[in-house]
Amino acid sequence: MDPQMMVELGALTIVGGAALIAGIAEDLESDVGSQSNPNSQVQLAPQMGYLHRLYNKAISGEPASYPFYAAIGAATTISVLSVTGSASPIGVFFALVAGAFVTALIHGIYATTSYVGRLASQSRFGQPIYLDVLRTHTPVLMAHGFVANFSILLLTWILISQHLSPFPFVVLAFIWGIALGGVGSAVGDVHLGTDRYYQDRPYGSGVNAAHSGSVVRKAESGLRNSIDCAWFCSKFGGPLTGLGFGLVVYLHFWKEVVVKDWWSAVAGVIIVVIFIIMNVYLERYSRQRYGTYKEETEAE
Amino acid sequence: MAEGEKSPRQLMVIGILGGLIGIYIASYLNSWTGTAWFSFIAALGAILAVYYGADAVRRVASYGLGTGVPSIAMLSFGAGQIAVLLGLAVALNYNVGVAAPIIALILAAIIGLVNGVMARRVIKMNIAIMEMSMMEIAMAASLVILGFSTAIAGSFTFNAIMSYVVASGFIIAVFIVGAMAMFHPFNACLGPDERQQRTLNLALSTGFIAMIVTGIASGAINGVQAAVPTLIVAICGWVIYYLRFWADTKEDAASVLSTGLLPTEEEVA
Amino acid sequence: MFDLLFWVWIILGGILIGAGVHFIPVGGAPAAMSQATGVGTGTTMLAAASGLTGLIGAGSAYYLHPGDFAYTIVMGGVSAALMIAILAFIANVMYVYGAGVPLASAKIKYDPITKWRQDLYVSRGTEGHGSPMVSFISGIIGAFLAGVGGALVYFALVETYKAIPGFSATFGSYSAPYYVSLAAAFAIGIFFLNCVMASYNIGGTIEGFHDPKFKRLPKSIVASLVVSAVGGLFALLISVMLPGGI
Repeated sequence: MDPQMMVELGALTIVGGAALIAGIAEDLESDVGSQSNPNSQVQLAPQMGYLHRLYNKAISGEPASYPFYAAIGAATTISVLSVTGSASPIGVFFALVAGAFVTALIHGIYATTSYVGRLASQSRFGQPIYLDVLRTHTPVLMAHGFVANFSILLLTWILISQHLSPFPFVVLAFIWGIALGGVGSAVGDVHLGTDRYYQDRPYGSGVNAAHSGSVVRKAESGLRNSIDCAWFCSKFGGPLTGLGFGLVVYLHFWKEVVVKDWWSAVAGVIIVVIFIIMNVYLERYSRQRYGTYKEETEAE
Repeated sequence: MAEGEKSPRQLMVIGILGGLIGIYIASYLNSWTGTAWFSFIAALGAILAVYYGADAVRRVASYGLGTGVPSIAMLSFGAGQIAVLLGLAVALNYNVGVAAPIIALILAAIIGLVNGVMARRVIKMNIAIMEMSMMEIAMAASLVILGFSTAIAGSFTFNAIMSYVVASGFIIAVFIVGAMAMFHPFNACLGPDERQQRTLNLALSTGFIAMIVTGIASGAINGVQAAVPTLIVAICGWVIYYLRFWADTKEDAASVLSTGLLPTEEEVA
Repeated sequence: MFDLLFWVWIILGGILIGAGVHFIPVGGAPAAMSQATGVGTGTTMLAAASGLTGLIGAGSAYYLHPGDFAYTIVMGGVSAALMIAILAFIANVMYVYGAGVPLASAKIKYDPITKWRQDLYVSRGTEGHGSPMVSFISGIIGAFLAGVGGALVYFALVETYKAIPGFSATFGSYSAPYYVSLAAAFAIGIFFLNCVMASYNIGGTIEGFHDPKFKRLPKSIVASLVVSAVGGLFALLISVMLPGGI
């Protein structure tokens, strides 16, 4: 193994770890804010007569808002570095922190406007705006967003300084932001939407369309709020999202670092085939383990 | 049209004229004084374009786009950035540098019209105002991109925008921050009781946040001269319009409670 | 200078991006409640996520081997397909263990690829959940097409802009040469242009190539052709307007 590949693999390990943390923080942040897909249920609930004390952050979907945070963070980082210079690693670290911090503030502002905006537009259903929900949840989601954003900026910086990608810093951060939002939306939102929001329904079935909007509003002790939901999803949804995004970033560059040129394409195809085979086993397992919902005669 | 609402034509005049005037004043004052103190005026012009574009998004999205509100803004900004850079290149080639923003606007209108015609005639979306709206949003998008880019670079010549905004990667930051400023107001106020004044106050507020980001970016290019006026104006402007948005919210909401349990049936009725 | 071949690449790339969006299985908001088959995101954004990951792959490939057309295109496609394979698989793990549902689609009785029965495994009141094999494979094909399309657009743009004198300059130490930055920014723009047009055509959710909505593909091809032609023309005309460079 030549030394250059070892350095790149070492850098890639940090990148993979940062991606893992970014995935976890992203999913938990979108759970606290109830962003993206399950938010349609939170949005529908007052209309069906189920008033709630959940957060309703409707800043577009996650794949559209995470590139937004990444781009602001990256622009701020570059501005700070143009003043301080990028010679010392500590200087770069603090520039990344500054970028993530400014973004967290802007994130918080957007979150508050969407919560009050959406609830004010549902005034005919009688849904109140709870200022204490706003006060307690907004800092939590700003903090999780800070961690996710800082991880994205860190991994982008390492990729660029190792010359693993030729794109400018802001553009690469933007694209990894979209990828993070996509993975978070696909993986983590299911745990929130199917499991936690409908926890009073039996486990092991999709949510019946007739029950749309009837989210759980009365919790184990007191009224349900979105921080409870993040606590629940941190047991499974968050880490699985982190695993997913970590694998996406790590394998994407691993196949280019370990083997070169056309063998990278071959390695990519082999990894895709491995995932197809794993999916076959997963699907078969789910059918054998869970069985059918109805009998053959009923379905005819 | 309800009481006190602004008509689409009024907003088009405010948006396009305001955007162009802001860009021209900023660039000529900067080059006349040889400094970058006046870059923030271009950002103010871009905010007027955000104001106009947010209402155009509001009008077309109320018909129900099927894919959500962000998509139309992303489409227009993606096309708009190409139109802006081609407009600047055309102006450079034919030595009509002063007409660059107008050429960019016309090219953006062309590409917006093509998108609208495709969406309505080929894909058969059932929205009557689709072509006009796509054209308006594309024009607003081009002014937003050009306005914020001029605020970062200090002038709207092709060389300046290319080296200070595109090569450093800030063009993508302008793209997404501008697109978010344009579609977030309607998306955040989505619901049966949405009101134009509240939505547009939020549009100005998000526009000023975009100006904050522009101010930070312009600090990297032109230093304190560009960053300090831009950031001060942006933060003041944001505070004003955010508080106006809050006042509108308190007026519109069913109730604003400091804390409490869920309302009972009698309280809601 | 304006090369007709590069315009054709951009148009073809745009068409492939739009076509790829139709293959990727998207369940939208209902999928997050396990009410619909597919991955739980919006059509536009999932295709953009996978295709832009392919763009990163194409960018790195072009950086290592400038001018190598086949390598750039294949790496773009493979990177995008890998991203969707991982994403859809992890999402399926979530459905099986987190929501406790088997992977099934309500639109077909038997999966065309595995020949497993579908309708008995769909829970009551839903249209399916997860990404069964046909949706999974469809997603991989779709992401590959979107990645190849994005790589085609990027290749055409970067080859055109590299030829402009003065475009190899960089600005600062953490940015790229002008031609890479401009080509990447425009590739992202053309990506969004085609993804959104295709998602307007789909109008919500689609399960893959077995979904009846898939028959709407020809309309999307025409729309992508025209918008990519106009967008690509504008992008390539920049090089015509700068014969002497900057």
